[in-house]
Amino acid sequence: MSEEQANAAPAEHPVAVSPWATGYWGPLDPEQHPAVLAVRERFPEAFVDAVNFRDEMTIRVERSRLRDVVEFLRDHPDLRYNLLTDVTAVDMVRLRTSPRFDIVVQLYSIPKRVRLRIKAGVDDGETVPSLVPLHAGANWLEREVYDMFGIVFEDHPDLRRILLADDWDEGHPLRKDYPLRGFREYVQPGFDAPAPRVRSRLRRP
Amino acid sequence: MVIDFSHPTPVEISEERQLTESRREMVLNMGPQHPSTHGVLRVLLTLDGEVITGCDPIIGYLHRGVEKLGESHRYAQFTPWTDRTDYVAAPSNNLGYVLAVEKLCGIQAPERAQYWRIIMAELTRIASHLVWLGTHALDIGALSPSLYCFREREMILDIFERFCGARLTTNMMEIGGFSRPLPPDLTDMVKTFVENFPAGQKDYETLLSKNPIWLSRTRGVGVVEPDVAINYGLTGACLRGSGVNYDVRKAQPYLLYDRIDFDVPLGSHGDVYDRYLVRMEEMRQSIRIITQCLEQVPTDGPMAANESNYVIPPHKNVLRTAEDMQRHFIWVIKGFSPPKGEVYMAIEHSKGELGYYIVSDGSPIPYRMRLRTPDFVNLQSLPYMAQGAMLADVVAMIGTIDIVLGSVDR
Amino acid sequence: MGVIEDRFEKNILTTSVDTVFNWARRSSLWWLQFGLACCAIEMISAAMPRFDLAERFGMLYRASPRQADLMIVAGTVTKKMAPIVRQLYDQMAYPKWVVSMGSCANIGGPFDTYAVVQGVDQVVPVDIYVPGCPPLPESLYYGILELQNKVIKYETIAKKHGTEEAEADRVRSREEAQMALGPRR
Repeated sequence: MSEEQANAAPAEHPVAVSPWATGYWGPLDPEQHPAVLAVRERFPEAFVDAVNFRDEMTIRVERSRLRDVVEFLRDHPDLRYNLLTDVTAVDMVRLRTSPRFDIVVQLYSIPKRVRLRIKAGVDDGETVPSLVPLHAGANWLEREVYDMFGIVFEDHPDLRRILLADDWDEGHPLRKDYPLRGFREYVQPGFDAPAPRVRSRLRRP
Repeated sequence: MVIDFSHPTPVEISEERQLTESRREMVLNMGPQHPSTHGVLRVLLTLDGEVITGCDPIIGYLHRGVEKLGESHRYAQFTPWTDRTDYVAAPSNNLGYVLAVEKLCGIQAPERAQYWRIIMAELTRIASHLVWLGTHALDIGALSPSLYCFREREMILDIFERFCGARLTTNMMEIGGFSRPLPPDLTDMVKTFVENFPAGQKDYETLLSKNPIWLSRTRGVGVVEPDVAINYGLTGACLRGSGVNYDVRKAQPYLLYDRIDFDVPLGSHGDVYDRYLVRMEEMRQSIRIITQCLEQVPTDGPMAANESNYVIPPHKNVLRTAEDMQRHFIWVIKGFSPPKGEVYMAIEHSKGELGYYIVSDGSPIPYRMRLRTPDFVNLQSLPYMAQGAMLADVVAMIGTIDIVLGSVDR
Repeated sequence: MGVIEDRFEKNILTTSVDTVFNWARRSSLWWLQFGLACCAIEMISAAMPRFDLAERFGMLYRASPRQADLMIVAGTVTKKMAPIVRQLYDQMAYPKWVVSMGSCANIGGPFDTYAVVQGVDQVVPVDIYVPGCPPLPESLYYGILELQNKVIKYETIAKKHGTEEAEADRVRSREEAQMALGPRR
């Protein structure tokens, strides 16, 4: 009895469903993923590579064919990535020298229930084809990327700053060389210096 | 200088054009300070009489740089700022963030913690929908439902306060589970709420659902067709009100939602009234989920994952054992280093799909913290909805998209 | 009329009238509905049945600054929003008071970033600072009650010594409140 108890495995609390390795992004192996195979076959010169981390498939393409790739993925009868979830950018200047930025497009297929990520490398000064003709929801997302990083999108109907004021002249905040606290303190319009701080009694000398 | 705002890019109108064209249109500024804009949203409307010919929402009056803050603070330090993005549904924001970090690190919380996370997330969904209903009805003109909604919301805030100490910005979810034990009377509080809420919800239904004024102000207003909704990237009740069945809890279940039985309500016309019905039904389904969770939750068991690297040690051990105290010290001061890589984790927030995209370079500080907030993307459909509508309907449309400016501007 | 004047001496009658007027002035402050961020939700909760700032205190929220005499700045003031806060303050009629609610309006809060004004007192002069993130509705109450005392003091000095004296006293009490906030970064 005691040997059985000793040899029996300790009662574990059942572990819950893990948020990865469950097929939410398609097959784990890039060689078997239908989107990777289709893109590689259709755009052999624009396809760079496909990576899988924590069950998430990321396809890297050339930036000039970004809109064509997204359109192909949307209209392909077996893939149908019809919901544009997110368009954003990452400033990779601390991790590699060129290209500087990575445009990241997250797609989701409502009928097939799979997600996909497309990445494209962009250098400082280069433009990216806009996804607005395909997905109207890319409008503000790309405006935010322009506002925060300074990446210009071709054929965007209305590329202006969205989160910061229209006359913000201090640059693009989410670049890595922009300090967190900004360059200038707030000056009330009509005054030439920030409001004077009252010297506090609690201040240590 | 006369500027034409109805053009997609504001252009200056030349003298010649000013003389030749007789312009009947007026530009009206629904400014950042307005009782009906749910915060600091500015909408530039071009009107031809009462009919709207152009609508340009201007946001950014609450942009606080949360994504930049995420690039200079450790993973565990970032949770309070996620509260302040969507401040009416703070625990849901926390949940999305900790799930993304857990996915990055490759850990998961034990079952008991997952159940309590679901209970708190569904309570948050109800609280958020109550604020939505109160302010939406207030904007359209119904002054009483807001008082009733906030009465029920106070019960939920009491539960939050008992659980984690704060009403509004809760900082509730922690990486790996919950490090402190559950208060003993919390289950009873949740049970009492679940029993009393349906009666309260019946109050608002009686006031609004068959009210002829409500129907005439919301039926046929702000119609979004299903393919247009998908094209705009809408998620949440805005998408489901148009009839598209996409709910992250059903399509890509996280936590333990695949063990729980609930329905996802769908609308058919895609107007403001359908979205109202969808959200009311979502509240009822949330009660159903909480009831099932209360039955299924194990009454004992660990509340935090047992990973020594990534998870804060349980609070009572920190005060008693030397190893856990040291581990706590290093966890707080230095932080943990997740593996290199990037993750995107999406949850079904009360407003739509909330996604966190985290890029990690192996250091204790994230390299890029991106919050994909649902209202930022949903608000883009306002110009489409407002085209050709009356001025008074704009207020109903802003309310039905259910925006919270902290989440739009981050 | 004759009966009252015989019963009370002249200054006691004035003081009773003063009390009535002061009660009326402090109990009917109308505040500008100006919620910016999370503190706005707590301000709305304070006006809702459980805490009932509106009915109990005689306060009412007005949408237009021209009809308000109290501005509760609840939430973060960003650099894009600051000129508008100033414009609203300028549109209010005298006498006007400002309550800075929450730590974002006091001192910038947890957001020490490029886009946030570190405290609304950089933009408008503030009379009462209510700390918290967000402050409980009860904390907001305490701030409003302190403000009512300030209103009485202002009105009493204005009646006795004139408006300039009252304004000077207010500037002094604003500086005291700002110093009590503590050292700034």
